Amino acid sequence: MTAAVVTGWSAVSAAGIGVPALVGRMAVAAAGSGAAGAELGRSWDGDPLPQPRGHALPGFSVREQLGRKGTSSYDRGTALAVVACRDALAEAGIEVDDATRARIGVVLGTTVGSFKSTSDFSRETLVQPRPYLVNPVLFPNTVMNCAAGQVAIRLGLQGVNATVAGSQQAFLASLRYATMAIGRGYADVMLTGAVEEFSPHRAWAAELAGSNRNVPVGEAAAVMVLARMEIPVWAGRHRDAEILSVATGYGLGGDAAALTGCVAVALRRAGVQASDVTTLVTGEDSEEDRRETGPAAAALGHEPQRLLVKRSLGECDAASGALALAVLLALHRDGKRDGELSLLTSAGTDGAVSAAIVRGWGRDGAYRE
Amino acid sequence: MTALIASSSVLTCLGSGKRTFQAVLDGRCGAGPLRHARAGALNVTAGYHIGKDDPERLFRARTWLVRCVAAALRQAWIDPRRQRVAAVVGTGLRELASVEAWALDPGAGRQPFPVDRLDFGAAVPGVADVVTLSNACSAGGHALAVAQDLIELDVADAVVAAGVDAMSRSMLAMIGRVAPAPTEQVRPFDADRTGVLLGEGAAAAVVVPEDSTQAARPTLGRLLATGLSCDAQHQTAPDVDGIRRAMSDAFSRVGRAPGEVGAVVAHGTGTALNDPAECAALKAEVLAAGADPLITGVKGAVGHTSGAAALVNLDIALRILSTGRVPPVVGLRRPLPEGEGMRFVVGEQARFEPRRRIVQTNAFGFGGVNAVTLVEAA
Repeated sequence: MTAAVVTGWSAVSAAGIGVPALVGRMAVAAAGSGAAGAELGRSWDGDPLPQPRGHALPGFSVREQLGRKGTSSYDRGTALAVVACRDALAEAGIEVDDATRARIGVVLGTTVGSFKSTSDFSRETLVQPRPYLVNPVLFPNTVMNCAAGQVAIRLGLQGVNATVAGSQQAFLASLRYATMAIGRGYADVMLTGAVEEFSPHRAWAAELAGSNRNVPVGEAAAVMVLARMEIPVWAGRHRDAEILSVATGYGLGGDAAALTGCVAVALRRAGVQASDVTTLVTGEDSEEDRRETGPAAAALGHEPQRLLVKRSLGECDAASGALALAVLLALHRDGKRDGELSLLTSAGTDGAVSAAIVRGWGRDGAYRE
Repeated sequence: MTALIASSSVLTCLGSGKRTFQAVLDGRCGAGPLRHARAGALNVTAGYHIGKDDPERLFRARTWLVRCVAAALRQAWIDPRRQRVAAVVGTGLRELASVEAWALDPGAGRQPFPVDRLDFGAAVPGVADVVTLSNACSAGGHALAVAQDLIELDVADAVVAAGVDAMSRSMLAMIGRVAPAPTEQVRPFDADRTGVLLGEGAAAAVVVPEDSTQAARPTLGRLLATGLSCDAQHQTAPDVDGIRRAMSDAFSRVGRAPGEVGAVVAHGTGTALNDPAECAALKAEVLAAGADPLITGVKGAVGHTSGAAALVNLDIALRILSTGRVPPVVGLRRPLPEGEGMRFVVGEQARFEPRRRIVQTNAFGFGGVNAVTLVEAA
């Protein structure tokens, strides 16, 4: 069974903007470098950083990418998301016009929206002189679904527009939402991804929580163009991947059986043999971290090759899963892995788990109807 | 296969769903002084609070959500340990109020926030599949759409569509800082409306398949469809065309005509922009199709319950179907000029006749996200 087809994708991350940047970075990572992140200095936008290194893209400029018009109020996460969605549509070869715009939707995963925008806006309400009025133009940035809304506005996408909050689960939960929105006829195409911006706020949160011990904080927006199986002519002619199944679940207190069960459901829905899964893409941040590999291997009956994306691109929280799929598809790009099956998993601190089975293809490679 | 609403449980400043409906029928308003410390400094003086407790006590939203979800499952005769039950929760702020209170507490703030308490899994054993949707003020409507999808795809035996929101200090501060003068009461569709106020609220509805086994079980109404759309125009200003597309999507999904609408539980936020836009969309999509529905709304009585708002509206709609009574728009005295020719329920309750007609409920959120739900008597 196939839930949806990826007709194009793109990503903005510490590796740079677009597909070639990510493909290039993976070649470098395969050679074993780049894990420590980029040198960012002591501060970011005037606020101090707890550590001088991070997997950010300091040179990213929204004006360079999108121009001045309409972008001045964007926060960083919104800008990253808009650029990634624009590029993903271009990768798929989709022209948005009046005949198609109402059939294209957007679903983005998030943790809390832009932590920095919310904090800065709240702070402004406290430090402004009388009469304490703040800039109302920045108010929408404090709403968790800001990025998805701005993507729709910028690119003219009038289909269902949703934001799924789930931190590490956010992308796979969004993927599930998207496949269902397509399957149930709300849209023919769903831009499906997740975004997390780099900010001192997130860097400090990770520092104080101790979650940056293995990998520094990163940022990314990664977006897949999902289409229904019978791809409409306008929705792109490429077939970069097939999303065979997505499953989500919950286990009290991080119960490992929850993920094992979730993987079993994903396998059953996909209708594939566990032994055919060759790659396991997790949210783990080191070789020693086996919180997902253990339960996943228990369901598969073997341990596939592991792909640990966080080691080369940082802790991207809500964007982790989306970036992981983008990296997987970057690895598929040259066609040498055509038709291989991968299992994507994630497990959050609150007990939520999810899994997806994906079959990847090189661009215009071996896939034939 | 179609879907039914087996049960609905609501908690607002006016109490349970039953009490809330009676209060709205009586024209009562649940607004009171904002109970947060130093409320005056926020430029927000009034609010729609649940209960009498400290509004900054921890995990209030979770407590309300658990109460509504558990009650709705019980009323629907659903046992999550024996049946496949999923939950879809819509929220704007989730437990942000608790996170803020925790951070500001000199003792607790030094400890990590207990994230495991954000999940309600332990309180409702057996619900294995929980999704949180953060689609601002239409989150509950989007949750309802997902619930119907899961039922019609036979992924679950029952799905709880739930919504919840409490007031966070930061949200109050933001509202206070973008309004020139404090609002005392939400007055939907009034010519002299002064803006919106937050209402604390939670709601949960259980969606089940319409099949032979359901015939002997509790049923409140038939869930026809939820139409979804995105304005793709402006982050905060509503767009008439976007709202119209959500309405037409709802009717076309279920293959029914807008002319069948007998009553509308409107979004009606009492803001300068929403109410005229909602009137224009209703006129163009529903009235133009030959319907002349009674128009009501609850935000004057219970405030804007944000993530729960669409499901609070749903509860009102189901009670309109079961009682045949349509409550007045609390706070509405003189309808806005853009609403001329529309049958707002003003002052006294009205009769919903004939009872076979559709009740439409609206929810619109920041980001231009729109959800329009249609229900009828089962």
